[in-house]
Amino acid sequence: MRTVAYYKGCLASLSAKELDISTQALAPKVGLELVELERVTCCGAGDIHEAEPDYYLHLNARILAYAEETGSDTLMTVCNVCTLNLRQANFQLKGDAALLERVNANLVSVGAPAYSGGVDVQHFLWLVSAGEGYELLRQAAHKGLKGLKIAPFYGCQILRPSKLLGFEDPDKPSSLERIIEACGGEAIDYPAKIKCCGFPIIQAREDVALGELIQPIEQASEAGADAIVTPCPLCHLSLDAWQSKLREQTGRDFRMPILHLSQLIGVAAGLDDSELKFKRHVVSVAPVVEHLRI
Amino acid sequence: MQVALKIWRFDAVAGERKLVDYEIDAPEWVTLLDVLDLIKDQVDGTLAYRKSCRMMICGSCGMRMDGAAVLACKIRMYDIAQSGHIPVISAMGNMPIVKDLVTDMQPFWGKIRAMSPWLQPGYQDPGEKEFVVSEEQMDTIHKESLCIMCGCCVSECNSMESDPEFLGPAALAKGMRFVGDVRDHATVERLQEYSGQHGIWDCTRCYFCQERCPKGVDPRDAIAKLGAEAMKEGIDSDMGAKHAKWFVTSSKTTGWLRETELVPKTQGVARSLKEVKFAMGLLKHGKVPPPIPPHVAKDVDEARALFDLVSQQGRGGAAGIVQGEHALERLEFEQGGNPDRDPFGEGSFPEPFLPGQGEGEEEAES
Ligand code: SF4
Ligand code: SF4
Ligand code: SF4
Ligand code: SF4
Ligand code: FES
Repeated sequence: MRTVAYYKGCLASLSAKELDISTQALAPKVGLELVELERVTCCGAGDIHEAEPDYYLHLNARILAYAEETGSDTLMTVCNVCTLNLRQANFQLKGDAALLERVNANLVSVGAPAYSGGVDVQHFLWLVSAGEGYELLRQAAHKGLKGLKIAPFYGCQILRPSKLLGFEDPDKPSSLERIIEACGGEAIDYPAKIKCCGFPIIQAREDVALGELIQPIEQASEAGADAIVTPCPLCHLSLDAWQSKLREQTGRDFRMPILHLSQLIGVAAGLDDSELKFKRHVVSVAPVVEHLRI
Repeated sequence: MQVALKIWRFDAVAGERKLVDYEIDAPEWVTLLDVLDLIKDQVDGTLAYRKSCRMMICGSCGMRMDGAAVLACKIRMYDIAQSGHIPVISAMGNMPIVKDLVTDMQPFWGKIRAMSPWLQPGYQDPGEKEFVVSEEQMDTIHKESLCIMCGCCVSECNSMESDPEFLGPAALAKGMRFVGDVRDHATVERLQEYSGQHGIWDCTRCYFCQERCPKGVDPRDAIAKLGAEAMKEGIDSDMGAKHAKWFVTSSKTTGWLRETELVPKTQGVARSLKEVKFAMGLLKHGKVPPPIPPHVAKDVDEARALFDLVSQQGRGGAAGIVQGEHALERLEFEQGGNPDRDPFGEGSFPEPFLPGQGEGEEEAES
């Protein structure tokens, strides 16, 4: 068992609870013992970084400090945006002693622990798509996916900017495909898998965002995908919940089920309904479930 | 060595597009631009592309290689040719194509011009002394000043694909270059201008610009700096700005984002009422957590105290975004994704050629 600090982020704590529940249920099967961070806040998404950048840095330093306090050298995330935010802050703090000192002084004066730079931020996807985690995943995914056609959707902030993320080639990623295949599914290829789903501006600029959102859904659908899988709860939210808006605007009803990564692996690993929580999705996952039953 | 390329040719008059194969004998030190020159010289004189400096400074030779915008004169062909990979070359995206690899840059220049890209000084004459700008002040716009206006960032901008009128990464980075310049005194007017319908808050944070820029400008960071400056000046009536502000409030009061309230805070109550039907659909699936009791993180007072403390330390606005040499560094690729992957194999993004690496060099000299 590898012990890692676990940062849920807001979405998995609230509207995407199914992501947290399935991740917690799956973790032991892929060799991960999760130590959930309880005293932390939201990482601020791109929003606090844009509105109050110095405060963003401190919020994230505080999360890193509490992660370090658990004694683990790894902070696991389940959200693209959290991953970029925390890795960016980590990179900045580790590379600038004067900055780290100032931030630490501030952390300590409000009663938080200081951060010494001993934590590496890793997305769940990365922990199970290579090395030992991947071997364990292959063993765990014994139930398979019966050749289900799955379209991987990476989203932006797990690939770009690669200088802060750097896990795989940002233009030709393969981690999700490897997982889909290890689980017994067939990975569908389509150009928009590395593009943006439009989530950050879905409220402020809905039309612009929908123009982005339709691309992966339409392309995956035309390539014959049974479902889309994504490692990011924000991508999940827009792909799943805003699909009805695409229907309103374009008259096209894609009915494309959207799975969280932990749910996809979870299905193959035999998690039950109460751990997968498909009922919480807006677009019905029933066709996928039926395919697997036959 | 033999170098092979596939080039998307385009004839605007006939409106025809075709993918043509080329193969040519070339010295080992060639760049993609050199190969195009050789093809034009020896195979087909009608091939059209732009170039001038051949040394990554004029910004003329932006084009796509395997779908990713690059400067043709920056890409060394040796490793790509050795791997047997045949890259596909095409014109940049988000701009009309004039012929082959030449795009119409008119919309690009129009947006740059819309930023009023000149200094509008308003400072007092410092008299006998010089007007001194500190290194720290210059650091804020260091990266933005490196732009060579090649358009590689714009080529793959996801928001611009969806909204062609979006000012886009290059123009906004140019805007930040002046907003962040302490000698410029049109800051407020600029920020108001850039915060309009197709401005700062149109950016979807896809980070393609950051990934593609051959000069390390990091345009997405420049846009974040503009956002931070706009908020500092109280220019926050755009829905995007309100959205961002709400995150700050929410992190201070409950620690976690209060998603339920986010919609009204962003869109205003009148507009959000129209969203009720949509929201009810989400509510059915637990997608909108009930507002009461709010989900409160433990020890959220620590976050609140941090906010108050940080606000007094004079690093508001763009100054809060980490600048300087370290921010310019690039991390090594971990290649953890697939250790067996050939970095120059099928479809991979080529790395810049470094002199002294591999045997190619010695042979080229002999
Ligand atoms: S990225 Fe979003 S969901 Fe993840 S913690 Fe940060 S604000 Fe919350
Ligand atoms: S695709 Fe859009 S929402 Fe998803 S991670 Fe990228 S920016 Fe975020
Ligand atoms: S920001 Fe970079 S990619 Fe964009 S125009 Fe300037 S130099 Fe080119
Ligand atoms: S991050 Fe913003 S400006 Fe940059 S390419 Fe994406 S949408 Fe365009
Ligand atoms: S020819 Fe000038 S940048 Fe490539």
